[in-house]
Amino acid sequence: MIKNILVSVSGSTQALVAAKYAIVLARLLQAKLSVVYVIDTKALAELLRSRIFVEVEARSYEEELQQQGTIMLERIKKMAEAKSVNTEVYLLRGAIHEEVIKKVEDLPADILVLGELKDIISRTETFYDEGERIFRTAPCPVLIVKNPAMVEQLYKEII
Amino acid sequence: MARLVDFLRPELCVMDLKAKNKEQAIRELADVLEKNGKIKDKADFIKHVLEREQLGSTGIGNRVAIPHAPTHSVDGIALCFGRSLEGIDFQSLDGQEVNAIFLIGTCPSDISTYLKILASLAQLVNQRQFLEEFLHASTVQELISVLKKFELGHKK
Repeated sequence: MIKNILVSVSGSTQALVAAKYAIVLARLLQAKLSVVYVIDTKALAELLRSRIFVEVEARSYEEELQQQGTIMLERIKKMAEAKSVNTEVYLLRGAIHEEVIKKVEDLPADILVLGELKDIISRTETFYDEGERIFRTAPCPVLIVKNPAMVEQLYKEII
Repeated sequence: MARLVDFLRPELCVMDLKAKNKEQAIRELADVLEKNGKIKDKADFIKHVLEREQLGSTGIGNRVAIPHAPTHSVDGIALCFGRSLEGIDFQSLDGQEVNAIFLIGTCPSDISTYLKILASLAQLVNQRQFLEEFLHASTVQELISVLKKFELGHKK
């Protein structure tokens, strides 16, 4: 039985499509929906360490990402509530793939929903892409959402 | 994953910068971005990049500089590269002159992608072999091949 659905979002359009599909699923299955957005503080720390960023700059990027994450999560929460879906949102900090996997384990999630992955054009890329890493290491079934037009249609159909 | 090869097109690479100092280099590369339609307001973009330089040099050592800034004068991500054969004083942390300059700007709404590109760039320029081959490329095509080889694992 699927009782807990987790969707991982970034600021991308694909993530929003994934969130809409997760709302549809949660509504149809009468499941609880959790939404997670991770502020990539690991990347910020790496850029500080490599001296591309200075402290004040890294802090301002972190604040900007926090703002973007908050807006994204609020938007999805409102969309879910409009479809009568019970929703929790989580704004986390750290390495994206690590935090998402931790959240899968903590809930625990019965299924993880992700936006469409980018085409893989090299072997090395599969080790660095966050979506790819989450997909490969998640300890639960993972659903990759494709076809935005179909998702939009389904989303509109549920009242 | 944001890939440098998706953004650094041949027309955005300058093999022999004419600039003699940091500000001239930033202006010369901003011209390239403007000519290729990557920035909407060159003056505003340069202003933001120079303001960022005031916080501390983006000359990160090993002959590399990565001047950058988020600004609304960029649509999405703007990236270009310039090679200075003579070397430019960028007030780098290691005191060396700079031969490789990557100028990058982002629209504030695209910061996630921007961070990934900068992280990829940091990873690449930390590889001595990459820098050697990249800086010794004789044509733009060779330059892009080197980038692909190290970023994507493609053979030349």
